[in-house]
Amino acid sequence: MIRNKPLLLLFRVVLGGLFIYAGVVKVGHPLDFAQDIRNYRLVGQSLSFIAAVVLPWLEILAGAFLIAGIWKRGAALVITGLLVFFIVLTLVTMARGLDIDCGCFGALSRKSGWSVVLEDLGMLFLGFVLFFDKTPGPSPEK
Amino acid sequence: MSEARRTLRQALALAALSVVVAAAVHLPLVKRFARGEFRETFFVPADHPGIRLITMAEAEDLWRAGEAAFIDARTADLYAQGHVPRALSAPAEEAETSFPSFFERLPPEGALVIYCEGGDCQSSLALAKRLREKGFTDIRVFSGGWEEWARAGLPGEKGDDQK
Repeated sequence: MIRNKPLLLLFRVVLGGLFIYAGVVKVGHPLDFAQDIRNYRLVGQSLSFIAAVVLPWLEILAGAFLIAGIWKRGAALVITGLLVFFIVLTLVTMARGLDIDCGCFGALSRKSGWSVVLEDLGMLFLGFVLFFDKTPGPSPEK
Repeated sequence: MSEARRTLRQALALAALSVVVAAAVHLPLVKRFARGEFRETFFVPADHPGIRLITMAEAEDLWRAGEAAFIDARTADLYAQGHVPRALSAPAEEAETSFPSFFERLPPEGALVIYCEGGDCQSSLALAKRLREKGFTDIRVFSGGWEEWARAGLPGEKGDDQK
């Protein structure tokens, strides 16, 4: 368990910042992102559309709340949940042999592959540390 | 309330908040979705002036008349295995980082026909959007792609791109 407060704050800023960034680059191009989701061939047109509209905002809000220290554990839960989902999704996509863009960072995305999994695992580590952190933050939750 | 329940509630509240914000921000898009749009494709030609989807018959006419430059957006491997004669190879993936130099020799107002494998392949559309940003004004995407072209028994060519 990490108890170093400045380090925990740094983790929150880095992880939250990455999620805000990932959301912001996608939020302006929902139809492009919808196509990225559709390319995974797991859900149909309608679900791809709904996910493309909502997911970037979930990333932005969870990232912002994590940094602000509001509903910190809830935000960490959303972020770790999303990361676990992304990792499983990427592994399944690789196993199916699909050669597609991951869609992670909008137009800056690269192919779904091991580098995406490693990056997500790195973020997942930060997410777990923050999720299990019990030190009271500057939040109104206590 | 237990810690676990509180955390779960926070996460659900964040999800609900995201739905509300997303619906508010993207209201015009959500309305179009509710009216039945985007059920077949997320590409709406009206949103992309300068890019049109064309059928194989149109593509064939343009090719026979030599009125458009054909661009193959597939990988170099697939291009080498067979492509529309005279088509230039511009793998969409590579165009993200290094843009093929032959585009500089093509007039920006000249017609381009871009294709990929066919079916639901997306690389031709992705490349079309990139070329639109680069200033090309008459871009036609032949969505039937190489699959439809070859199946119809139209001429093909093998080998690497000579540029």
